[in-house]
Formats: sequence, structure tokens, C-alpha cells
Amino acid sequence: MSDIQLYLLEVDKNKPEAQSTAARSASKLEHKELKLIDLITSLEDYINNKDDAALRAKSVAYLADVLEAVPPKVLTGQERRLLCDFILGRLEGDSEGIGASARVLTALEERGKWDPETVQRVTKTFLDHASPLKDHKLQTDRFAVIQLFDRLLEKYRAPLHELHTSDPEFLAKFIYFFDGEKDPRNLMVVFSILHVPMTEWDISSNAQDLFEAAFNYFPITFKPPPDDPYGISAQDLKDRLRDCIAANSQFAPFAFPALLDKLDSTSMNTKRDVLHTIQSCVVSYDIKTINIYAITLWDALKFEILNVQEEDLAEGALKALALMAGKFALQEGFLNAYTRPIMKECNQHLEDAPTKQSTATGRILYALASSATPVADKVVKGIFPNLFTLYQASESLTKRRGLLEVFNEVVRAYLDRFRLQPKLNLEGLIEYGRDALGVMLRVLTNAPKAEVSLRLTALSGIAQLVALRGLLTEDQGYRAVDAVTEIVLHEQVPGHGDIRSQAIKTLAEMARTAPDAIRNQAIPAFMVELPDSPAGDSSYLSVLEAFAQLSSEQQVFDTVVLRLKNKYNVANAQGASEEYQQAMLLAILYAFTHGSPMPDEEGVIRGNYFAEYVEPFSSTIIQPLQAGLDQKFVDIVGRLCNAILRQQGVHFQSQVYNKNLDSMAAIRNDTTRSSAHTAPFTLYYYASLRPDVVEAEDIIALLQTQAKLALDTKDHETLPVVLQHISLLINKFINAKAMQATLQSAELEVEALLSAVSPPPNSIGVAFAVTKALLIQGKSSALTSEYLQLLLQLLSSPDGKSVAKRFTSLLAPEEILTKENHCQVSGLYKQKTFSRLVPSLAAAVRSAEPSTKPNYLIALSGILRWLPYSMLSTSLPSLTPPLLQTLDLSSPADQEPKASTLTIFESVLMHDPDTIAEHTASLVTRLLNCTAAPANIAKVRAKSLQCLALVPKQLKREAVVPYRRQVVKKLMACLDDGKREVRAEGVRCRSAWLGLDDVEEDGEED
Amino acid sequence: MDAEKDNANPTIINPSDLPSRRREAPTKKQPRIFDSLAPAYPSLADPLSSPEASDSDSEEEAREEIDEQEVYDLISTISDPEHPLSLGSLGVVTLDDIAIKGPTSPRSRIIIGLGVKVRLLNCLPPRFRIDVRIKEGTSNTADEVNKQLGDKERVAAAMENRNLINVVNTMLATCE
Repeated sequence: MSDIQLYLLEVDKNKPEAQSTAARSASKLEHKELKLIDLITSLEDYINNKDDAALRAKSVAYLADVLEAVPPKVLTGQERRLLCDFILGRLEGDSEGIGASARVLTALEERGKWDPETVQRVTKTFLDHASPLKDHKLQTDRFAVIQLFDRLLEKYRAPLHELHTSDPEFLAKFIYFFDGEKDPRNLMVVFSILHVPMTEWDISSNAQDLFEAAFNYFPITFKPPPDDPYGISAQDLKDRLRDCIAANSQFAPFAFPALLDKLDSTSMNTKRDVLHTIQSCVVSYDIKTINIYAITLWDALKFEILNVQEEDLAEGALKALALMAGKFALQEGFLNAYTRPIMKECNQHLEDAPTKQSTATGRILYALASSATPVADKVVKGIFPNLFTLYQASESLTKRRGLLEVFNEVVRAYLDRFRLQPKLNLEGLIEYGRDALGVMLRVLTNAPKAEVSLRLTALSGIAQLVALRGLLTEDQGYRAVDAVTEIVLHEQVPGHGDIRSQAIKTLAEMARTAPDAIRNQAIPAFMVELPDSPAGDSSYLSVLEAFAQLSSEQQVFDTVVLRLKNKYNVANAQGASEEYQQAMLLAILYAFTHGSPMPDEEGVIRGNYFAEYVEPFSSTIIQPLQAGLDQKFVDIVGRLCNAILRQQGVHFQSQVYNKNLDSMAAIRNDTTRSSAHTAPFTLYYYASLRPDVVEAEDIIALLQTQAKLALDTKDHETLPVVLQHISLLINKFINAKAMQATLQSAELEVEALLSAVSPPPNSIGVAFAVTKALLIQGKSSALTSEYLQLLLQLLSSPDGKSVAKRFTSLLAPEEILTKENHCQVSGLYKQKTFSRLVPSLAAAVRSAEPSTKPNYLIALSGILRWLPYSMLSTSLPSLTPPLLQTLDLSSPADQEPKASTLTIFESVLMHDPDTIAEHTASLVTRLLNCTAAPANIAKVRAKSLQCLALVPKQLKREAVVPYRRQVVKKLMACLDDGKREVRAEGVRCRSAWLGLDDVEEDGEED
Repeated sequence: MDAEKDNANPTIINPSDLPSRRREAPTKKQPRIFDSLAPAYPSLADPLSSPEASDSDSEEEAREEIDEQEVYDLISTISDPEHPLSLGSLGVVTLDDIAIKGPTSPRSRIIIGLGVKVRLLNCLPPRFRIDVRIKEGTSNTADEVNKQLGDKERVAAAMENRNLINVVNTMLATCE
């Protein structure tokens, strides 16, 4: 059998086999075992078979498959021309196998560039003899042709353009050829083919046809099938279609009416497409064209903003309006024509402000003013005179608020652009901006205090005007700062709503643009309000809090902290209360931790703050013979030291360390007073130091003293600090290799600590501190596991309950053992602790005696409490039973484990409700029990109600409906809970359960 | 469609002008910003003495009574059946019109009255007698409506009407 016969035999049943037959023919051609002419001749019977169209198509496909498999340079130019002629000749008489013909031509073109005549002849043959393409049923056939055309347009644009210029009919035929294509893959290419004439050719006589060739597909409603192998999305099609519609200004007479017609569609998606397309057209069409349609567009687009259907549609319309404004910005005439009717309508909407329309007006004006300065200035001139006339003419405070809101929108547009370009020309705004400041200052000071929204509007307006640096006069800036300071300082009586916190924020913002006014006016005013020594009450605290927040602006930071320090010194000299002095220090600490201290060249906080803000205070702590220090004072100074010192480099820290080495050792060894007093400072001081700054002997000595102190002290305030200190020293400074030896020498070895039959509480505390340090360090795996086992064993001891409660400290968030404090923090320590402790605890719960079972439950919830939900979600099947049992803990002291367990159930209900479905009955009962007062604290009651509210929402309806009556009834008691917050949760929870079944509406009222 | 409404373009009260507990007593029990400077986590020492274990004990005893503001919060978030706005922002319910231990009288038509009534029945403990009435002089059918709202049987009957249930549920859907 010949190759063609074999091919025809296989092609329908076994495509790969047929293709390898074709490849064999190709190889024969390559090795001259077969002549091209013989190959063609062998086709004759099939390719010309009058009765069987399919057979003819398959014969051409054979030829295409062969040619695609032929390596380059096998066929001579003459052979390729011959084949080309052959195929085109065939097409003239028979368009059967059109896809294969296109593939043959593509294969030929790939094997040798065509001359312009060939390109033109190929194009014309298809347009004259195979048009429209849609008549060919197979998508793959059409796709091959479309790809051929795409290739021609890509490589031979000039010859094709010449066809257009020389033949007035050509473009019409070209458009018609692709008419009616429906397949998304083909359409993607057709759109990009059509895009070429649209953008590059003179289309004046075919504009409408060409436009419609694309617009017929608008809007794209295509939904890709699931697992679509071609990965074409509706968005891809939309993007290409939009490019076509926006391609040529001559489309405008057809595009805008058609688009606006579709804007009335009831489909939000269609409207969305229309708005995006209008935006593209506005960007691409030339300015004169847009000018013609600008008013028509405004008249249509405004409805999307005045009557918002969907927020993104309103935003789309606003963007289109802004794009037009931007386009006209530099053409005074066009801009005037565009803005005049808009200004007119906007002014009308201001008449009865505040309304939905006046709010929309604000948005429109913001959009326009954001586009360009000339437009913004036009808005100012067009709107503000009327706005302020209306303002002055109205007595209604509500109306005044509505008008100021619109004013603020326009100014916001200036401000948003000003932040991007600080050199923005503000001249257009100056006159009205300055007038408005006066108006808004009057509102702020004179309007009744109960007019919260009006005053808030004025406040935010003032903030914006001040933020536009250079807009106001210096005097106005001072007056603005004064007015806002006045609110912060003197509006503290109840009934004035939220304005004060907003005013504090505003003042801090003003410090950015008006630092002088803040320094010269606001800060002195604050200082006047802070007494040297307050009499009794703590009303100074809110002034101090507000003042500290000014430190968020770097330009005034130094002034703020300096004033605070001076005030502290005065208070201290005058013997003001400890509490007042400490409040001052807390304010300094707040500034350094939450504010913006000045950085040095390397970007870290400046080192000289240490000398200015730590040493004056720390010297009183380190001084020997200093007795009676308040521990809170020491703590604050320690934190301040930490905030400044830990960021400093090795050089700076070494200087500090060496300078203080002796005095630190002295206070450590000073037995005449309790080192308890200095403990918090020492802790933060060593927490700040980098590991390579310290000396080993110092650390060992320190560790030994701390260990001794921890085991001996009876002071409940000092013990936690000392334990933290032990954890810190072990974690940061002790090398893993020397760990066990060091621990032994300092008498910190856990096995030894716990060797007594009933270890004393201090020893247990130290054991937890050591284990925690190792856990976080993550380097002494065996030792850590051993210590954890020892701790677990304690749970069954008589003192097990207090041990159980300590487990929660192992993973609790750490303030001291952090990377910022240069500690060694293993990235995996939470996972490791989970796998070391949780399975054994869960197993222990199952086998424990009833008397010790609560201990395991408490320890378990103490560990789980701090783990991210994702870490425990995979273990839910084994964790759910013990977690449910935790909710049964009935001792009043066991509230914390219950609260944290409820938080876990909340996550389970949110993320993995299915895993808990089988426990619905016991979960519902237990949650209901947890809502009972006074057996549960308010936090537990509220949390269990939150969980219970999730049950009907997250579990299957049929699983929860049986409990509805019981739950709704029992929740009645929660509606009368003593705590408002719990009642509110009760209402939410009960609504959720009532909503379960709206068929039998609520029979509970009797 | 708008023309069918009694008031197609109602005045909307700005959210910051609505009564709220916060506004009533802004200085009461606000967290102080300096408190965050020393976070309270369980310490390594005996956790019983740690700050978080002891914080709620003293407050646990004090009862917070149900007051007018709380009732207001319950019903002000109900949506008006005609406007997609809350009864609070439309001024249909005001704090002044709510009285504990006295006749209450939110101004409303029957459907709003019904919504308010259902909401309060669902949310207040049974020791409260809930009396929802139309404010005098705001509707010429006030007597008739008050009779209906006051009659337990008629309210129950109304709540068997599918359409009414749907309207009321839609109104209550905006409540938290």
C-alpha cells in the first residue's frame, strides 16, 4: 500500500499512526527516495474524488502533515511555488479541506519567505473563494486559516495594506471573511487581526462595518468550560474586544450611542463592560472626537453616580468623567464646554444639601479635580462662590455640614495630588481655601458641641487645608493649630462624642506641615495644662496621652520628649506623687516606642538619646546605697533603656557596657539591700545587649546570682522578673555545647531542681524558665525533651494543678526572648513543642485518674492557646474529645483554659465545621453550660455565645434543627445576663438560632 | 417607584450624630494608651498571680442594667422596609422615645411597629413587658395600629402571614 492509502486508513481511527505515516513520507522526500511530483500524483485519485468530500479533505491533510514534517531546505523554491499554486488552484474550485490547505500554505511560508505577489494572491484566494469563513464547520479548520492570516499580517503588512489602497472593495471583503466567528480561541486571533486595519489603515469608508465586526460581540458573555485546556478567559476576550472598539476615533459615532444604549442594561456585568470600554475610548479617541460626545456621556454617566447601583459602577463612571476632564485640561475651550453643564448641575444639587445627590456631587467634583490642575481650578471657580453663598444664606447646621462636605471633597483632590507632587500649583485654591479656614474655625469654636458631625467635618477640612503646605498664611496655620489644641485640651466632658480623638490625630498630622506652630503654640499650651504637682485626681492623664501622641511626627519629636523630661524634673523636685512622675516617664517611653525618634546616619535611633533619656534616670538605679526605689519606676527606666540601647551597634554598646560593668556587678553583689529593686532594670539592660558585647565571667556570675535569688526569694513581684532574666541569660548568652555544664554549675539543672519528692514552687518556676529558654533557643533537643518529660511527670503529683497552670507560660508571647533583643529564636519552636507535648498530653487525658485529669486538660489548653490554628487543625480528631472535656472544668479558677478552648472551637467552627459535626450534641450542651452565670466569667460566657452562634451558620441545617427549641429557650437567660456585652452576644446568638427556621416563627413568647 | 413612597428623599441623620453609648460617656473605662506599654501575659512565676488572672474579678460582680440606650441599639439597626436605611438614621426611632418602665412609643406604621416588636421579643428577657405604640399625632390610624400591636393574638396571627414574615425578616437582617 502507498503512504497515502495507509494514511487514509488510519487517520480517523488512529491519528498518531497516520501522522507517523506522513512523517515517513516526509523522510522519504528528504532522502530523495520519493519525488515530490510522485507524491502529488499518488494523491490524485483521492484529492479529486468527486463523490467524497471528506476524502478530498483528508488527502489535503495528508499533504499538510507531510509538509509540516519536512525539514527546512528539502524543498526547492520552485517546488514550494508549485505546491503553493497547486493549493491555491484547488481552493478556487474546491474549498473542502480548507484548514489543511491553510496548514500547507503555512508550512510552505515557514520554509521560505513569500514575495508580495504570493501574499496578495493567497489572501485574495481565501477572500474570493472561501468566504465567509463561518461556513466551514470545523473550528480547527477555521483556526488554521485565521492563524495563517495572523501570520501574514504580522510579517507582510505592507503588501496587505497595498491590497486595501488599490482595491476599494478589499476591506469590505476582508471584514466579511471573519464575520460570524463564534469560537473563543478563533475570536481571540480575529480581534487582533481586525485591530491592524482599525489602527493602521484609512478606514473612512468602512468604519461602521469594521466597528460592527467587533462590536457585534459586545458584551462578552463567554464562560470558559471547567478545565478549559486553552485557558482563554472572558477577561482576555473582553480586553481584546475593548482594544478594537477603542482603536479608531472614527468609531465614535457608532460606539458611543451603542455603548450608552447598553448602559441601560439590567445586567451589572454589561454595565461594567460598558464603563470600562468608555474609559478606553476616552483615552484612545482624539480630543476633538471626545469633545463632540462629552456632554452626551456626562448626561448618561451621571446617573450611575447619582443613583448608585453598585459601588464599582459609580467608580467606573467617575473614572470616565475624570479621564475626559484630564483630556481637556490643556484645551480651555473644550474644558469649558465640558465643565459648564457639570458645574451647573452640581450647583443645583447643592441647593438642598445634604442629600444623596449632594454627596454624589462631592464625588463628581473630587473625580474632576483629581485629574489636573486646570480642571481643579475650574471646579473651584465654578462651585465655591455658590457653595459659600448657600452656606451664608442658610441657618441650617445640617445643610452647612452637607456643603462643607462637598468643599472638603474638592480640597481632598488637591491634597491627594499635592502628596504626589509637592510643587503643585495651589494658586487656584488660595482665596477660597483661606476664606474657608475662617468659616470652619468658627464652626469648630462656636457651633454647639452636640453638632458632632458638623464639627467633625470642619475639623477634617481644617486638617486638609493645613496639610496643603503654603496654602494658608502663617497666622492662619497658628489659628488652626490653636483651635484644634483647644479641643484636645478642654473638651473632656462627656457628651461631645468622638471629636477629641480625631482632634489629637489631626494635631499630630499638622505637626508635619506646621511644625513651628505646633512647637510655638500647641506644645506650650499643653505644658500649661500639666501641673508641676497635681492635686489628687489623674485628669492630667488624658492631656499627657494626647501630648505623647504628638511624638509621631519626627520634626517635633525632640521637643516633645525634652518638655516631658523637663516636666518630670520639676515634678520630681517638687515632690509630686510617684504616680505623676511615672506617668511622665511612661509618656517618654511611649514616644520612644510608638513615636518617630530621629535616626542616625544608619537609620537606627540616635545614640545620644541614651545619654539624654536613659542615663539621668538609670544612674539613680545603679548608684550604690540608693534605697527605696519604686519597682514601677525601675521597670519603666529599664524599658526606656531597652528601646534605645538595643538598636545600637557593638561599638556603642561596648562603651556603655564597660562603663557600667563595675557598678552593675556592685549592685548585684550588694547584700545590704534587696536586688529585687534593681531587677527589672538589670533585665532590660541585659536584654538590650548584643551577645558579643558582654564578658563570659560576668554572665556566669550574673546567672548564679539570679538562680540563687530565684530559689530563695519570697517576693512575688520580683520572682517573675528574675525568672525572665534566667531565661534571657540562658537563651542569649549560653552556648548549646556548654549548656548542661553551665546549668549544673549555676544549680539550674532541671532534674536536680525537681529531684525532691515534692519540689518547692520556686524550683518549679525556675525549671519552667530554664526549659522555656532552651525551647526557644531550639539547639539542645535531647535536653529540652528530657526536661519537658520531667515537667509532664509533675502533673500527676499532688501539686499537679499549679504545675498544669504553668504550662501556658511556655509558649506565651515573649517580650524579652525576641530577635530584637538579640536572642536565639528558633523558627520551629512552636511546632516542636506541639509535637513533643500535645500527643502525650492527649494520651494522658484518656488514661488519667479523674482526680488528675483536669491537670492534663489545663496543661493541654495552656499549650494550644498560643499555637496558630493551622498547626493544630490537622490533629483535630484526636484533640476534640479533650477540648470538649476542658469545657467541663467546673472550678471557678479554671476560666482561662475554658476561654482559650472556646477560642479554638470558634476557629474550628469557622474553618473546619465538618470535623466537629459528629460532636454536635455534646458541643451544643457544653456551650450552653458555659453561658451560665456566675459559674463562668463574662469573657467565657460571651465567647461561648459567639461559638454557639456559629453552630447554626456553619453546620448542616438538619444537624442543628433538633436543638433549636432547647437552645432558643435556654438563651433566654443570657438576654438577662448581668453584663451588657454578654447580652449583646446573647441577642446575636439567639437571632442566629431563631433564623434557622422561619417557617414556624417563634412560639417562645409565652 | 420612588413616587409611591411617602417620602422618597428622606433626611438622613449622620452616623456620628446618632446616640451611642460611647458618645454618652466617652471618658468611662476607655483603655489608656500607656497601658499597652507593658503587655500582660502569663508569667513564668505562679500564673495565679499573673495580671491576666486577676483583672476581671472586681468587675464581675457589678451588674449593667438594661437601659434606654441598649433598647435603642437593638432596634435602631432595623431597616426601613422602603428605604435601604436604618430606623435610627431615618430618625424613626429616637432615644427619647424609649422608656424603660413606662409606655414606649416609637413613631411608626404597623409594619415598623411589628418589626420593632418582634426584635424586642427576641432580644429582651421575658421579665420585660414590651409595649410598642405609635407616637400620638403622627398617624391618623394610630389607635387602630396600637390596638393591633398590643394584642398578642393579633401579633401572633400577623406572624403567620408569609409575606409579613418575609418583610420583617428583611428588616431585621441588618441587625447584628
